[in-house]
Amino acid sequence: MTVLRMTARLLRRGLAGLVALLLGVAVFELVNPFVADSLGGPQGLEGILRSLPPALQAFTKSQPEFIAVSGLAGYLSLGFTHPLYLTLASAALVGFGARTLAGEMERGTIQLALSRPISRFQVYAARVLGVVIVAVGLAIAGPVGMLLGMGLAQPEGTLEIRYFVPTALGTLLLFWAIGGLTLLGSAASSTTGRVVAWATAALVLFYFIDYFATLWAFLEPLEPLSIFAYYDPSQSLVNGALPAQHIITLGLIGLGGAAGGLLVFLHRDLPT
Amino acid sequence: MCKGDIWLLAPGNLGCYPPVMGNPGPPEIAVETTGLTKRYGEIAALTDLHLAVPAGSIYGFLGPNGAGKTTAIRLLMGFIRASSGSARIFGHDVWADGVAARRDLGFLVTPDAFYPDMTGAAQLDYLAHLSGKPPVLRDRLLETLELGKDALRRRLGSYSKGMRQKLALTAAFQHDPALLILDEPTDGLDPLIQRGFEELLRDLRERGRTIFMSSHDLAEVERTCERVAVVRGGRLVAEETVEGLKRLQRRTVEVTFVGEAPPELALVPRVTIVSREGRRVRLAFEGDLNPLLRFLAGHDVADLVLAPPRLEDVFMAFYGEDERGPGGARGAPAVEAQDAATEPDLVMRR
Repeated sequence: MTVLRMTARLLRRGLAGLVALLLGVAVFELVNPFVADSLGGPQGLEGILRSLPPALQAFTKSQPEFIAVSGLAGYLSLGFTHPLYLTLASAALVGFGARTLAGEMERGTIQLALSRPISRFQVYAARVLGVVIVAVGLAIAGPVGMLLGMGLAQPEGTLEIRYFVPTALGTLLLFWAIGGLTLLGSAASSTTGRVVAWATAALVLFYFIDYFATLWAFLEPLEPLSIFAYYDPSQSLVNGALPAQHIITLGLIGLGGAAGGLLVFLHRDLPT
Repeated sequence: MCKGDIWLLAPGNLGCYPPVMGNPGPPEIAVETTGLTKRYGEIAALTDLHLAVPAGSIYGFLGPNGAGKTTAIRLLMGFIRASSGSARIFGHDVWADGVAARRDLGFLVTPDAFYPDMTGAAQLDYLAHLSGKPPVLRDRLLETLELGKDALRRRLGSYSKGMRQKLALTAAFQHDPALLILDEPTDGLDPLIQRGFEELLRDLRERGRTIFMSSHDLAEVERTCERVAVVRGGRLVAEETVEGLKRLQRRTVEVTFVGEAPPELALVPRVTIVSREGRRVRLAFEGDLNPLLRFLAGHDVADLVLAPPRLEDVFMAFYGEDERGPGGARGAPAVEAQDAATEPDLVMRR
């Protein structure tokens, strides 16, 4: 009960910003069906994507051959790998993870709980629960926005509604991995700014490893080091597939980050 | 009327209070440290601190900035881990068994630690929930500290420093804990409210609560504390009752004789002649005053000036050298301070 109350307090603190980011994610995905419709359906999309240079195709993770086969679902899945979508979601997760642990240590706010008969484990568990709630919210906001857009724009082409479930699950796992790593950084650091800087640097590095591995063959061996290598919403939205390897890897990365953060937090000194 | 179940009472009912801890009868020692040491690399912030704070007392913890007070308090709270030694609250190790150690504890957080987006009332409710005990003293505290209901309806962002301090005090005391750990509790309070607060401390002590407080306000410590510990450079240099410390303090007496000053004056035990100007003699003495008084009773004395012992003098004796530094004296002109500072450890350490 105490953990839940602490989590509620943490979520309420930055609620306005969090809601704004969730809305941003939903609106971004809501717009995609309208864009697909305005571009002339799957045939029009394929033509436009073929005209893009390979570097831009890699950046947007769009392959014309795939769109040709996958049609509307293939195009709409690009909305879940778009840099803006990932930036909005990462901002919400990193912001929450950094503010509620490192930020509270920086301000001294964490003393409010730790001077009461509450264990460090409970204090940390409240943050983990908060990260899970934010991740679930983000993972749901995108598909909900896209479904609304589909209903409003009614673009040409077919899309299996049930495939939104594996898409949302894969997205949730990616966000859980980002959240877990952020918690590790937040437990080890003592300022919000430092956590945000490190998390941003790590995510950009992961993204560009994944990006350049698509362009340059010699970088392919590095691709498994990126968390984005285990995130494939196109396969999920087009085929309903969610590879077990992706589930296990992202799940373990998130769990490892959160567990590592717990170990650090249980043993560290709080900053002055 | 109290009928056993204390938690049925409305907050602020001054007639009924919960018992101290759940055990039958309070333990003898509320806070105990054994060889408590904290090092940051090569720097020793606190070294080998041995303390035993009796339950049901107001205990002062004194020292200038950087002496190790805050480090000791942070160790007691489990915010930082000791490099060696241990600290116990009501018998519970503060690190290994921290939840039990803090079960009946009130701690004064820094005023900036509060959530700025919450109202004062919401903040207090939230913290009462985290404490797991109802805020039975809240109304009395708000009255004593003059923190109005209107202020409690406002968000923390609009509070002045003094109001935040009052809220922090209310949050620490509201659940009537058996032990209060307070770091500079009256910082930011005006003198009138400070006196009311001291009265509250004494009242809590009467009801068996223990208060462990650090303060820069020595007059306040003298008014409220029974025992004090003095730290310097991370080490304990004195631990004594306030009265005992004052008795140990080297003091000066100015005696003006009717005739010439008797030469046997120099032979009185524990008395040193500091200066002599005709019939007026300035003396320094330590400990018991009676041998000097008995000696003076046998002579014609025109005037005698003996300033009352003050904790501040004791404190300045410990820190006189540090405080003066290269910039000269800072409110420490007393000869006795200068004298005693030469060997404070020998004089004060027990």
